[in-house]
Amino acid sequence: MHIDPLRDITHNPFALEGLAMLSLIVLMAALAPVLSSYQPDYYTGQIFSHPSSDHLLGTDSMGQDIWSRLLYGARTSLVVAAIVAVLTTSLSVFIGASSALLGGPYERFWMRAVDAMTAIPPVIVLILAGAYIQPSLLMLILLLSALSWPEGARIIRSQVLSLKEKEHINASRTFGANWKHILRNHIVPELGPLITALMIQDARRAVFMEASMAFLGISDPMVISWGKMMQQALDFTYLDVWKWWLLPAGLALSVTLVGLTFLGFALESAMDPRIRKSSRIEMEIENPRTIHA
Amino acid sequence: MLEIKDLVVSYSGTRILNRVNLQLEQGDSLAIIGESGAGKTTLGLAVMGFVEGTVSGQIRLDGKNLPALSEGEMRSIRGKEIAMVFQNVEDALNPLHNIHAQVREAMTVHQNGSKAEASTRAYRLLEAVGLDREKAESFPHQLSGGERQRALIAMALANDPDVLILDEPTASLDSLTKSDILELLKAAAAGKISITITHDISTAARLSKTMAVLYAGKIVEMGRTEDLLKNPLHPYTRGLLRSYPNMTATKDLQGVPGRMAHGVGGCPFHERCTQKLEICALREPVLQKLDGRSIACHRGGIVPLLQLLGITKSFGQSEVLKDVNIALHEGETLAVVGESGSGKTTLARIAIGLYDLDEGEVLLEENRVGKRGLEFYRKVQMTYQNSKESLSHRMNVFDLVKEPLDVQRLGSPEEKASRVKDALNCVELPADDRFLGRYPHQLSGGEAQRVAIARAMVLQPKLLIADEPTSALDASVQAKILRLLMDLQEQRGLSILFITHDIALARKVSDRIAVLHRGRIVEEGPTNEVIAGPQHEYTRMLLERASDLSGRREEMWKIPMEVLGPNRLNTIEMRKTA
Repeated sequence: MHIDPLRDITHNPFALEGLAMLSLIVLMAALAPVLSSYQPDYYTGQIFSHPSSDHLLGTDSMGQDIWSRLLYGARTSLVVAAIVAVLTTSLSVFIGASSALLGGPYERFWMRAVDAMTAIPPVIVLILAGAYIQPSLLMLILLLSALSWPEGARIIRSQVLSLKEKEHINASRTFGANWKHILRNHIVPELGPLITALMIQDARRAVFMEASMAFLGISDPMVISWGKMMQQALDFTYLDVWKWWLLPAGLALSVTLVGLTFLGFALESAMDPRIRKSSRIEMEIENPRTIHA
Repeated sequence: MLEIKDLVVSYSGTRILNRVNLQLEQGDSLAIIGESGAGKTTLGLAVMGFVEGTVSGQIRLDGKNLPALSEGEMRSIRGKEIAMVFQNVEDALNPLHNIHAQVREAMTVHQNGSKAEASTRAYRLLEAVGLDREKAESFPHQLSGGERQRALIAMALANDPDVLILDEPTASLDSLTKSDILELLKAAAAGKISITITHDISTAARLSKTMAVLYAGKIVEMGRTEDLLKNPLHPYTRGLLRSYPNMTATKDLQGVPGRMAHGVGGCPFHERCTQKLEICALREPVLQKLDGRSIACHRGGIVPLLQLLGITKSFGQSEVLKDVNIALHEGETLAVVGESGSGKTTLARIAIGLYDLDEGEVLLEENRVGKRGLEFYRKVQMTYQNSKESLSHRMNVFDLVKEPLDVQRLGSPEEKASRVKDALNCVELPADDRFLGRYPHQLSGGEAQRVAIARAMVLQPKLLIADEPTSALDASVQAKILRLLMDLQEQRGLSILFITHDIALARKVSDRIAVLHRGRIVEEGPTNEVIAGPQHEYTRMLLERASDLSGRREEMWKIPMEVLGPNRLNTIEMRKTA
């Protein structure tokens, strides 16, 4: 049955809302230099100034323009999200698919590794790593990628295992196709929607983790981050600044996370086997000859 | 003793007979079969000395070389030592004289006794062939075809010749008359050298102990009649037998592709042969003796294509196949028949290489198959039981049929496109853009099966493993698909390993049947023999339960009244479906 979940979701309101939210954040990040007249690290000369036409969200305790820090913070979030999503998902697909296809001791090794990895809480690892190594954005990205592939790998593996038994894959094999051809022409296209969903999930987790680590102070102090903005703003709750310092950062983070969540949810419901099943039954009623024993 | 040595007969430069060698002793009966134009009649005429064209080589009858004799010397031999029963019944008798006079004339021409003696003998001879005095004095036009044939036989026997040539002796006779005449001919030819020339294989079989197959003036196969008919070795002989309607074979009729031509270089049959090699077009094969059979073929006759030897396979604890041996020859269909769970599909998947085997080996063209590479799959292809599942739902017809070419990296994109179209044409599917753009769920069951076959055939394999190719199709679509497979076999010499649960189906499409029961081959043999005389209990059961249209069935399934509930008074009888 020809069903393309990626096409299905364009009619889903959740997907559209999610996309709108993400687009907003992406626009903020992309147009940061245009939308603000200050560099994020530039000392304006005044601290804790109220919002004005000059400083849309006022200035912080360091005398930096909060609006431009908010815009540049989006860049950090999205860069971390994108790189972690690509790295993690690649690892998941590579390890999951190769385990399923090759089988044997290779598969057993990786699946035990997955079991072991899922038992480790990533926050602890990140804190410990931060304690021994100079925290940096690169380290954060690498560690997050290294820690979050196992769940995806397990999902990919089970999907590939069931795909592998499909008759059209057997047919391809008996044309003489090697695994490269089968992966490229049959398995990866079939996994496309799943891979997209995994990437969105990984991205969401990365955004959240990056903000959390920055909030906890385990990050490069030079990197502009929403998490760090919130943490700094919290120190000055006795002032009025939370309205234009804490709230916008929290809101931006929420919009990003909710946008990703909505998109992921829309995609998952499009791939949900129950929903697929009901649409298949419809198809077969339309065309009764397709029903086989 | 009649000995023909390197006989060549040409008409205006075309060799009609090309180095024919035969050796016949007293009492031998030889039949020469072949399609019209093969040179059969020319051979008979050459022995009789009636050939118009140029003759070289020797025809020795008891030491005399006939082509070297003068016309006068030949005349004294003709009718006396060699006689011929002619093909054309209408023209062979003189309409101005009665039968008796003509038989008597045949005797007096050779001064065989006095006129009165000849007359008496002629009457007796005519009586012996079944024509009484009244018939004997009739003119040819007053007699039926069968009676005229009898008269001609009497004429041929008039001088008790040593060699009797029968040229289409039963053509244009109805089957009852034919049967009588055959008995008569058999009696007449006893103790003589007889050469029966016919395209009617059943006549040839009745009248001969040895049979020779003539193709474009050359003997391509010769052997004991019985063996040759049961197990033809030359592809042409098999094609000839397959195209001959008879009560023995159960498989549908198939022909030989192409047309016969004289003067073809190399093996005369190579243009129509489905197992030709390069050498076949270059050098003419010699007639070689092989276990009492002579055959002229560079490949030594029909080659074995796939052999499965001692195949054993278990899944966990359950043994699915145990010591299975089957062999499949070029251009042949072997049906593997058995109920579901008997291991048929496992066998197919082992042959194609989807499953590893525990024990045994697979031979392709007599070479052991180890790791299967691109080359193996160019020769061996498979269609799957559920054809729709075997088509990826995200590919359209064009991409589906092109996939094997992509995998095998065959040809440029243009060549691939044209091969895809050819493959679709050969499975009788449209090759227009609308159809090429369709996805599997837009195809009917029959179309999906054809696309699956096109995918297999686009590589032009030698062997197709067809796993239940028609089990999901309705009868009329099934018939078309089967016809298609048979035509592909006829055109390309495709060998088919036909996996089916339906022995009635196997009967119509296969040359041989192997019955698989609980992972073992319980019976294997030519389809007609297995169907007519099943040896194993299980085969008999399959045959009893097979589809027939008579509606006569003994066993009834009865549902006891009490299980239907107290309100139901009448019992329901249901036909048990097999």
